[in-house]
Amino acid sequence: MNSILFSFGVMAAEAHGITGYIYPNEFELHWGLLVVLYPYLTGLVAGAFILASLERVFNVKVIMPVYRLSLLTALAFMLVAPLPLLAHLGHPERSFEMFLTPHSQSAMAMFGFVYAWYLMVVLLLEVWFDYRKDIVIKSREKRGIKKYFYKILTLGSTSLSEKALQFDNKAGRLITIIGIPSAFLLHGYVGFIFGSVKANPWWSSVLMPIVFLFSAIVSGIALVLLIYIVTSLVRWKQLNMACVNKLAEFLLYAMLVDFSLELLDFIQRLYESEESIAILSEMVSNRLFISLIITQIILGSLVPMFSIIMARFGRLPDELRRILYFLAAILVQVGIFSTRWNVVVGGQLFSKSLRGLTVYKLEIFGLEGVFMTIFLLLLPFVILYILTKVLPPWSDSDKSMSAPQG
Amino acid sequence: MQIKKRTNIKFNVPQQLIPLGILFILVITALIVARYLLVPPTFGELGHYRSQAIEDNLAHPMSYAGYYSCNECHDDMMELKNQSNHRGVACEVCHGPAAKHIEDPSEYLPDAPRDRGFCPLCHGYDPARPSGFPQIIPALHNPGHACIFCHDPHNPLLPHAPEECSACHRDIANQKAVSHHATLDCTECHVVAAEHLTDPRSALAQKPVERALCGKCHADDADASKGIPRVEMASHGQRYLCWDCHYPHSPEAY
Repeated sequence: MNSILFSFGVMAAEAHGITGYIYPNEFELHWGLLVVLYPYLTGLVAGAFILASLERVFNVKVIMPVYRLSLLTALAFMLVAPLPLLAHLGHPERSFEMFLTPHSQSAMAMFGFVYAWYLMVVLLLEVWFDYRKDIVIKSREKRGIKKYFYKILTLGSTSLSEKALQFDNKAGRLITIIGIPSAFLLHGYVGFIFGSVKANPWWSSVLMPIVFLFSAIVSGIALVLLIYIVTSLVRWKQLNMACVNKLAEFLLYAMLVDFSLELLDFIQRLYESEESIAILSEMVSNRLFISLIITQIILGSLVPMFSIIMARFGRLPDELRRILYFLAAILVQVGIFSTRWNVVVGGQLFSKSLRGLTVYKLEIFGLEGVFMTIFLLLLPFVILYILTKVLPPWSDSDKSMSAPQG
Repeated sequence: MQIKKRTNIKFNVPQQLIPLGILFILVITALIVARYLLVPPTFGELGHYRSQAIEDNLAHPMSYAGYYSCNECHDDMMELKNQSNHRGVACEVCHGPAAKHIEDPSEYLPDAPRDRGFCPLCHGYDPARPSGFPQIIPALHNPGHACIFCHDPHNPLLPHAPEECSACHRDIANQKAVSHHATLDCTECHVVAAEHLTDPRSALAQKPVERALCGKCHADDADASKGIPRVEMASHGQRYLCWDCHYPHSPEAY
């Protein structure tokens, strides 16, 4: 009788999607969609900033048309990046206690300072130095409230002398140089937090920060490419094909490195064949088959790499190239989101007993639901729209706008 | 002369740095002021917490009387309990906080839970509990009877020896029940002394030590049903014991 009851129990568990043996506290996943979104957003920030630094520090002049756009993109996504975590925690006001009573031994607590450093010392300062000339000009040309708004933005520094502009340029360059390791730190840190969870064989890997970083660069470049193509289309402006081609090239190189690193990690895990390998293989071939094999590897990596190679190095008309780049960039976004999903959700799908798998069921409504995620995904674009209105990044539309001096 | 020269030196600070410097000083000052105002004064004295919290907790009214207080009047009951399997369970775990009872024994009487819902809090089946810990399924275990009808909580001896191993090893029994080994009796592999049923700690059940035991059914020349998976014992797994790789209570898991 007991065994019949237990069999019913097993059938009920299977109806919920649980297979094998899991501990009672592993039935429900604690880190859901919002925690997936968080590394995705910080990755976009770091990637977009690193792209901007290519022009600024490494003098890749051809990507000049997207330099300011990538800075503003990084800023818009940076402002939204902590919101998924705050929504997930449920008590956003408590996060400020990290700043008041910092605990130097906690990686998560110290991350608040990394974030504050990156936002205030790197992004805001760089944007300010880069746009100061335009802000000063606008504060002189505009009328009414706008005039005062731009006046406040100048912070009282209204000199447009050649010396002052030269200093802007030098300071911007210096901040970008500081910004590159900071961007590496920002996203490497997210990988570090996952990679240092010793008890979780899916996460615990020294390669995790590096893989996170390269996937961040991939997603950031693809996002700026997407935004550039879409905004040019909406503004009825001619795309700078040299710039788009260069972006696609960088995207391809970053993807090759990222894909190789992930493959290396995968092969090493297989070769090491630790005791967790059996359950991880089962998880990859069942639970994560669609999100890892299909969307991350095939649709998110191989197909876009192949289409970029075809578009960049094949003899195709520019229109077709643009379409291929556009589709590739969208697929890359899907692929990188899947990567974050596979890391965050995948790490919680298998039991620490290494004998069973649970399932993740998406919430639709509520603070951690699909709608909240869509809202938080759209919010950076709204902020970016406002930022582009306040600080136009286009070098083609307004003659009075000046590009930063190389 | 030199002093005059020094006073004439002009510091060439770029204009941009002045408002930025002021802004940064303001932000840092705001943080310092916020820390001064918001961090509790006793924070960090003893560790990364507010040490006043200890005083605050000490100021809470006492609800529990503690083991020694019970012993002062109920030493006979205590002696009985201390000999039993419930020796690690404090009186107030079942009877509830009894500080008021100590203050005024006649006015306030502690709880004595008698309904069937209480004991299964510890003895209801839960796979996370250790094997060997007595666990029942309340719906199946003498429904309608109060637990104390058969068991004395101060000396919870079993009214009779368990009839099945699952009485204490339900997690393993349940796992086995849905495995390919469902039809095997536990004693097929384990040697269980009669004393184990009445005093399990004094005579533990014996676990197999040799590969040959599994080989009785799984060796390629074993005299067993044809449907049973066979291996060549000499070459399969070689120096390993069978249960290093296969979990005998659920052998299909690996």
